[in-house]
Amino acid sequence: MSRSIHAEAWQRHRVRLEGTRKQALETGRNRLLVTSVVFALAFLAIAGRLVDLTLLGRGAESRLAAVAPARAATSGRADITDRNGVILATSLPTVSLYADPTEVLDAEEAADKLVGVLPGLDRSEVLAKLTSRGRFVWLRRTLTPTQQYAVNRLGIPGLAFQRGEHRVYPHGRTAAHLLGFTDVDGRGIAGLERRFDETLRRGGPLRLSVDLRLQAMLRQELSAAFIGSRALGAAGLVLDVRNGEILALASLPDFDPNRPATAGGEAGFNRVTKAVYEMGSTFKLFTTAMALDSGAVTLRDGYDASRPIRVARFTITDFHGRNRWLSVPEILVYSSNIGAAKMALDVGARVQRSYLGNFGLLSRSPIELPEVAPPLIPARWRDINTMTIGYGHGIAVTPLQMAGAVATVVNGGIARPTTLLRRPDGVQPGGRRVLSVATSRQMRALMRLVVLRGTGRRAQAPGYRVGGKTGTADKLEGGRYRSDASISSFVGAFPMNAPRYVVLILLDEPKGTDGKAATGGRVAAPVVARMVRRMAPLVGFAPVSGEETPKGAHPLLASLNPPPAKVREQRLAAH
Amino acid sequence: MMRRTTVLFVFLAAALSLALFSLKYRVQDLEDEFVGLNRSILAERRAMRVLEAEWSYLNDPARLGPLAARHLGLRPVESEQLGTLATLSVLSSGRERAPRTNVADRNTPRLPTPSIGGRVIR
Repeated sequence: MSRSIHAEAWQRHRVRLEGTRKQALETGRNRLLVTSVVFALAFLAIAGRLVDLTLLGRGAESRLAAVAPARAATSGRADITDRNGVILATSLPTVSLYADPTEVLDAEEAADKLVGVLPGLDRSEVLAKLTSRGRFVWLRRTLTPTQQYAVNRLGIPGLAFQRGEHRVYPHGRTAAHLLGFTDVDGRGIAGLERRFDETLRRGGPLRLSVDLRLQAMLRQELSAAFIGSRALGAAGLVLDVRNGEILALASLPDFDPNRPATAGGEAGFNRVTKAVYEMGSTFKLFTTAMALDSGAVTLRDGYDASRPIRVARFTITDFHGRNRWLSVPEILVYSSNIGAAKMALDVGARVQRSYLGNFGLLSRSPIELPEVAPPLIPARWRDINTMTIGYGHGIAVTPLQMAGAVATVVNGGIARPTTLLRRPDGVQPGGRRVLSVATSRQMRALMRLVVLRGTGRRAQAPGYRVGGKTGTADKLEGGRYRSDASISSFVGAFPMNAPRYVVLILLDEPKGTDGKAATGGRVAAPVVARMVRRMAPLVGFAPVSGEETPKGAHPLLASLNPPPAKVREQRLAAH
Repeated sequence: MMRRTTVLFVFLAAALSLALFSLKYRVQDLEDEFVGLNRSILAERRAMRVLEAEWSYLNDPARLGPLAARHLGLRPVESEQLGTLATLSVLSSGRERAPRTNVADRNTPRLPTPSIGGRVIR
């Protein structure tokens, strides 16, 4: 209180002392003080910010540098590569020519000039486009750099280029059915391009399980057989039995994905996944496997194959007829329909159905392609169906399903989903056990026997222990089987002591030569042999010299004459 | 005193603006260079895509096979042409024990004579 009185007194004293004229000066000085303080604060703030930016480091500059790198270089659609990284499909930058008709001065002259430098353009069509009402017309998609230069040199107003991408398949027809193709706007409309359209568009690369070298080999060998046998079509497949990876897949006739116009009709039809065939005798592998696995028969049992079976209006006969009792191995080795039918009947419809289902033969295969056909299976599973299915008639499956099921038979009995995408090394997808290890081992021995002694002799590849089964099925047309048209196939695996690969070759309506029927053993088995001989060194198999079984009578083919004591009582008597 | 300070500050201001001026242009130059580099990186990447596609095209097995057959006389490897180290050791041990005997006479596996285009390589 006393201090304020003092100050008051002092002020009064000063005012009194300096006089009123000085008061204005005092106010001015005060204002100046306030202003300078404000300025000082502002400069301090600037200094502080300067120190912050320059010395303390976390300024805008480093953030700018982090933003800077150009990421625009990633191109639109991602590549598709094979398992070794070889490019199968890629997108290349290209330009397309368009016009704004309202800006074209002399349409006649422009059309004349354009047709001059871009052969293949129709003059009247170009003229119609250039005189149309719109403001945008495509004149030509995907120009080469030379053509672009030529068009630029014409100096026609109203023409412009649109940068874009063009899908290129460097290997042309080699993997056509797998890759499919895209339309002009880069949308996948067939094959893997369609199935993985979203992924590819987002820039995610696609690595296939396919090995381009094997793919080219398969297509070449298949093509030779296709042309040589004058077949309507052909399908081929190489499958890794350990993890279900497809290493090669070819279907003929094929097309060039660089020119999608060639993919119409038969050429665009993927016979490996989209076509279903009555496979014929190759199905006896499954019949035998399920009969052995379910305990319906043993390798020592046999059936009477001396007389054709007549059921209802059907007659089941043997192509390679032996007209005697046949043991289970002999039924497979000599491909006896009668024996297989009787064996299937002993297995029973219910068990047969469940085994076939476990093999994946009764449902659409889970492959990464849009073109997949479901199998054709009988609506009602009667005994007659059981019998015909026993030797591969009355059920139609895709070659892919067939190969997958054979892989299950030989790989120790485990069904694994087939895939076109490369699985990481050493990763085995979860599978489902269908056959016991022992059954699988027996089946491998039998398949080897078919090639050593039976119908599949032409599939032998010295040193590589091929095993397999031939199939020759009459084609069904309009409800009747044609004896002059067949589906001839061979499904093989190697090396038979520890199978790694299944090779399937199928020819649709091959024509025989020298009056001999074009059976699976005659036209398809040699292709498998050539394929194995060529691919084995590539996939790292050294030839093994020496044969695993002695010459002469094979222990599994011990004669059944006279018939063994334990001969199955035929349920057929009832029919 | 006041005048000297003023002169000093004027001089400092002039020096700083000069420095700022040159720095600005240096940054601008760097930015131009940066944009140019980015553009050429883009161009290089585009060229790389084209070259990769061409490499893949030229290495097409369906193209190389016939070329190798025509110009080099190469054919697919047959199983008889493949040997193992064990085969080699049989050959060399046989030579050590009896250097003068013809390898082919001694019941050992024969290696085919390598050849290119039908000409035997010695």
